[in-house]
Amino acid sequence: MSTHSLPTHVSRRRFAGAMAGAAAAPLLTPSLSNAATKCPAKRKRVALITTIVRKFSHGQHFVDRLLEGYGWHGEHHISPLELVSLYVEQFPETDTSRDRSKRHGVKLCPTIAEALTLGTSRLAVDGVLIIGEHGDYPRDAKGQPLYPRFRFFKDVVKTFERTNQSVPVFQDKHFAMDWREAQETYRDAQRLGFPLMAGSSLPVTWRIPAVEVPLGTPLVESVSVGYGHHGYYDIHTIETAQCMSERRAGGEVGVKSVQAFKNDAVWRLLGERESTRRLCLAALNRSQTLAPLPGYTFADPSIEHLKRVSPFAVAYVFEHLDGFRTTIFHFNGTGTAFSRDTAALNDFTYAGLTQRGDVLSTLMFLPMPPTMSTLASFFSPLVNHIEHMVLTGQTSWPIERNYLTTGMTLFAVDSLYADGARLDTPDLRIRYQSMLGPHFWRG
Amino acid sequence: MKPLRQIAFVLEDFALQTPAQQLLDRFLLGYRRDGGFHKVESIKVVAHLPGGANEALARRVAELGLTRAADVAAAARDADAIIVVPRADFPTPAEGNVTTVLAHAKRGASCFVFGAIGSNLAAARTLATLATARQVTLASGTALPVTWRLPQVDLPANAPVDEAIIVVQGASPLAELHALDGLLPVLERRAGGERGMRQVKFLEGRELWRAGDRREWSWPLLSAALSRSDSPQGDTILDGRTQDLVGLGLVPKLATNPRGWLLEHTDGVRTALLVLDGVVADFNFAVRLADGSNLSAQLFRAPVPAQEHYSQLAASLEDFFRTGTPPWPASRSLLTAGLLDACRQAAAQPGVWLRTPELSLR
Repeated sequence: MSTHSLPTHVSRRRFAGAMAGAAAAPLLTPSLSNAATKCPAKRKRVALITTIVRKFSHGQHFVDRLLEGYGWHGEHHISPLELVSLYVEQFPETDTSRDRSKRHGVKLCPTIAEALTLGTSRLAVDGVLIIGEHGDYPRDAKGQPLYPRFRFFKDVVKTFERTNQSVPVFQDKHFAMDWREAQETYRDAQRLGFPLMAGSSLPVTWRIPAVEVPLGTPLVESVSVGYGHHGYYDIHTIETAQCMSERRAGGEVGVKSVQAFKNDAVWRLLGERESTRRLCLAALNRSQTLAPLPGYTFADPSIEHLKRVSPFAVAYVFEHLDGFRTTIFHFNGTGTAFSRDTAALNDFTYAGLTQRGDVLSTLMFLPMPPTMSTLASFFSPLVNHIEHMVLTGQTSWPIERNYLTTGMTLFAVDSLYADGARLDTPDLRIRYQSMLGPHFWRG
Repeated sequence: MKPLRQIAFVLEDFALQTPAQQLLDRFLLGYRRDGGFHKVESIKVVAHLPGGANEALARRVAELGLTRAADVAAAARDADAIIVVPRADFPTPAEGNVTTVLAHAKRGASCFVFGAIGSNLAAARTLATLATARQVTLASGTALPVTWRLPQVDLPANAPVDEAIIVVQGASPLAELHALDGLLPVLERRAGGERGMRQVKFLEGRELWRAGDRREWSWPLLSAALSRSDSPQGDTILDGRTQDLVGLGLVPKLATNPRGWLLEHTDGVRTALLVLDGVVADFNFAVRLADGSNLSAQLFRAPVPAQEHYSQLAASLEDFFRTGTPPWPASRSLLTAGLLDACRQAAAQPGVWLRTPELSLR
């Protein structure tokens, strides 16, 4: 037992529980128990469906924020959502879901249906989180991991249909690795009429500087620069751009074509398109991780410098139906295979060009563990938006954004693996209006 | 605007990722500013580093046109601006270096001391007097006052404040310097401004926690500050979990060599500077306003190797050198120097209030 007195604002019950847990497990200091952390009002109940829960898996980030709370707006925020059930597909030696289930009294269910109904004939939860990221899954021929997001989603939908009930659903990252599955995901949500929100942390994390594109801005072009293995990280860079592009005058009207570029073709593209080059460099001027030359700690982000530090580069060019253009760059450094250690940068930046020729740029900052932090705090705003959706039934952004970015991701990878063929994308005639926002982390 | 044709760096060490390297390179190569890469055009950069050959500095001579000066006086003599940088693990440069710079700088020059201007108030005042006599504008500080905050908040101007806390890590006296340079810029915006310090008390170990329990500093305010951290230690290291570090009573368990200084300002505002190694690994502050609301943020130290907060400081310094207007009040620099000394003296008598009438600002 600690010898110091109880902090005055901490309840005796929470503190005593914490100390008891510490004695039982000296290496793992105690967590809040569900009983001890209940909000005064009855909390909404949620189920979480995931591939795997281990340190730094997406499943872990979501599970622990729901169970342990998280720093939010200057306090340790206890979620108004009560995680009552978990479906976990894989249990490696490093699994933490069983520990969390035991300590917090969360039911670990053998099926998705049971996680949603808790063994009854009706839905027993007020919301569902589908976290299909990480775990041991095969890749398809294009290198995309075959995470079972669609299978998870369909099991949720089947349970909705069987019970004739539905609740808000959050889908982590993009809908699926297959376009037909993505289409079915969107149509199911429309057909059954439940709120569906999806996406990654990029649109909602800190921005440095903390700027937003004012709604209705006459943007003509967007560029986003990032890094990462193709099929895994494309969605991050695409969402970085799209959450800004959609705020342009007239809103989003959809994408008519996609074309991928690789290595030398990327440099030719940058040489030929002055505005794209300008925006690429503007975005890189917001990067805080661009590789310097040996003997220095930072660099002037010129094209020549990029060629030196990142001979391996990929770009995706998206032509929108209103003439707007989005270009995504991944500068993966000197390694033939992606590695965070050899990537030319480790962050995601954006630059947008207005009709007047002004440039707006920012860094979507991810304090990424273990190099920059111990905690992937960028999941906190995402969880907060999920809480809002489950509590109100209102999504923070239109699901059409995620429908479009899913398609942009999948067709971009198709083009990359078709040696840069330009692909017409009639399926991506997806029109929507952005919501007022801002939705990124500011408080 | 004043001409900025020559800048001198008076250095005590030079290696990658030291403040010396980060600042020098930004005036040699340029730096990120306002969404672009800003190059300080047509400027001669001179540096003095004692001792023998330094490979990194020699490379900058060969590749970037850096000029090495034979001694401090030679470096300072023709410069429009001078930046004096101590060793990376020291809070202040050698006093003699600053004195020599001020004695040889041309009239109208600007001088920035990275860190604290001196190791105590008397030394700082002596240097400030010399600077005034020589018509050199003098300022000091680190990148903490100008780095980004997460979130990007500031104390509303003239807001009445009750108390404040900042959490830092590291060895003394750098930890105290970081705490002061992180928090004083926030607090000086309060109603009445900064009027100095009445007394200082040092606490360590269990006494630090007991002082919190006695409300000499605020556990809730510590919780607010730690809620801004991206680097909780303990179980987060083991399995990635989020933790309510204060609510679960983990702070005393995680802290190694916990220590802190309680400052009572002359206007009654109470400040706690807590050095909590082992609890978090970033700098976070919280302020309670008189209306009961809290303001809190992380002082963002950007990732290595670029440490882009030095670009923020370079921008402030270039503006200082071009306008002759220091980036912040000279009284902050004097107060910081005086408080560093007061913190050192207070640490010699833990638990005893050290009266500091000399740190009252009028």
